[in-house]
Amino acid sequence: MAVTRREFVACAVAALAMPRERKDSRFVALADHTPRCEVLDLGEQCRIRESIAGYRSVLAHASLRRALLVVPAALAIPTRPIERSLRRGATVILESGAGFAEADSQEFLAHRVTLRDRLRIHIEPPIVLWPRATPYVDYTWPTPATVRDFSRVVPLRRQEGRVIATVDDVPVALMRRVGRGTLIFLGSPLGPALWADDAEARRLLLDVVSSGSA
Amino acid sequence: MKKAIGDNMIPKGWGFDRGLELVKKAGYDGIELWLGDVPWLQMSTTDSEVRELRRKVENAGLVVSNVSTGLHWASPLSARDPQVRAHAARIVERQIETAQLLGCDAILVVAGLVTDEVPYNEVYQRCVDVLKPLGGAAARAGVKIGCENCNSEQRFLLSPREFARFLDDVASPAVGIHLDVGNIHDTGFAEQWIEIHGPRITRVHLKDVLKHRGRSGDQSVYTNLFLGDNNWPALRAALRKVGYDGWLVAEMEARYRYAPDQQFYDTARAIDRLIKGDL
Repeated sequence: MAVTRREFVACAVAALAMPRERKDSRFVALADHTPRCEVLDLGEQCRIRESIAGYRSVLAHASLRRALLVVPAALAIPTRPIERSLRRGATVILESGAGFAEADSQEFLAHRVTLRDRLRIHIEPPIVLWPRATPYVDYTWPTPATVRDFSRVVPLRRQEGRVIATVDDVPVALMRRVGRGTLIFLGSPLGPALWADDAEARRLLLDVVSSGSA
Repeated sequence: MKKAIGDNMIPKGWGFDRGLELVKKAGYDGIELWLGDVPWLQMSTTDSEVRELRRKVENAGLVVSNVSTGLHWASPLSARDPQVRAHAARIVERQIETAQLLGCDAILVVAGLVTDEVPYNEVYQRCVDVLKPLGGAAARAGVKIGCENCNSEQRFLLSPREFARFLDDVASPAVGIHLDVGNIHDTGFAEQWIEIHGPRITRVHLKDVLKHRGRSGDQSVYTNLFLGDNNWPALRAALRKVGYDGWLVAEMEARYRYAPDQQFYDTARAIDRLIKGDL
């Protein structure tokens, strides 16, 4: 796959900026669940801190059918734990935190290239949604749900996998089987709605984690 | 109680020095400084320049009542964009620093902005989250953050009990309410807000309001003291009841078309009568 010099530099910068994965602080076990549930705190590379709080609040008491890794509002993508979790058959929810990044910024370029080259997820530059008439993202899986948008989205190109959410007919989330695991990519953050106590967002997440097909 | 008026009321072209002379001559005890709203006090104004402003205020025989700002209308603490939110927090921090330099102990903050894009639940939670650490910083500096009740304009914290719950959730003794008695419009009565918030009131903004008119486009419902529908005897009684003995800060939206300095004198006399109970 061709990589431009700019993309290479962007990836290198992002890799240097990424905190090194450690067994202690990067993984936060929420409860003594079996299967295991983890919400990854990327530090400064998590662009919407409230998203972490949102996932934690809902998942603290969730009953899981499979192991779950959540990566909230990620700008630099932590590919190693994601790939490892997928290999082990876990569900991975990867939430993009690039909505507020500039389309021509190095951080967005690195985000896009990493998603493409490591996870085969193809995204477009962020879209500013507002002003718009209806403030919602329409989810279709695992059950239909209507959740508030977060002002900007990272749209998806046509690609392998099932589109599970759209904004004004633009695909913004997908679900894909990867080996034994399931990768769910969210181009519109769900975490802030969880954090703001959006009942439908909570139900959606609980449906995802309790879904046997995930 | 003491009288103050905002430096953003100083007639255009008068400058800070001439404005201070007017404020003193009109009989005020202090002046409210508006960070970002006047040329002499911007985010870029240095500490030494702020000290020079203090020297001028004190030389004029005045003190600074509090540091306010209108910058949070464009950069709200409740913004979704983390960069905007960080800038909004930095504005509050600068207000705290500036208050310290100016020798006053209160700032005014417009805490959050509900819009069709950023909904109420988010704004509430985000403001609580951001005000907790800012309250800590304010407490360490010996400054109180007064969240203003801009009820209609913010579409946020619309009742006095909800505002009290919000302050409970922030749970910082350094965060209270900067009560604007003109901002309550048709949704309540300023005297009841005073009773409910009592010791949490950091400062009082004074203006009158034309109730039952609504707010249509750019048409203001605010007017000069005693011209509107506020119940001023009840307001005064409530202030006495809760033991408020702090600053009354004039904030007039409507301006005199001619002789703009006359508004300073007229408002000062009106506040005198309010303080004396000569109503």
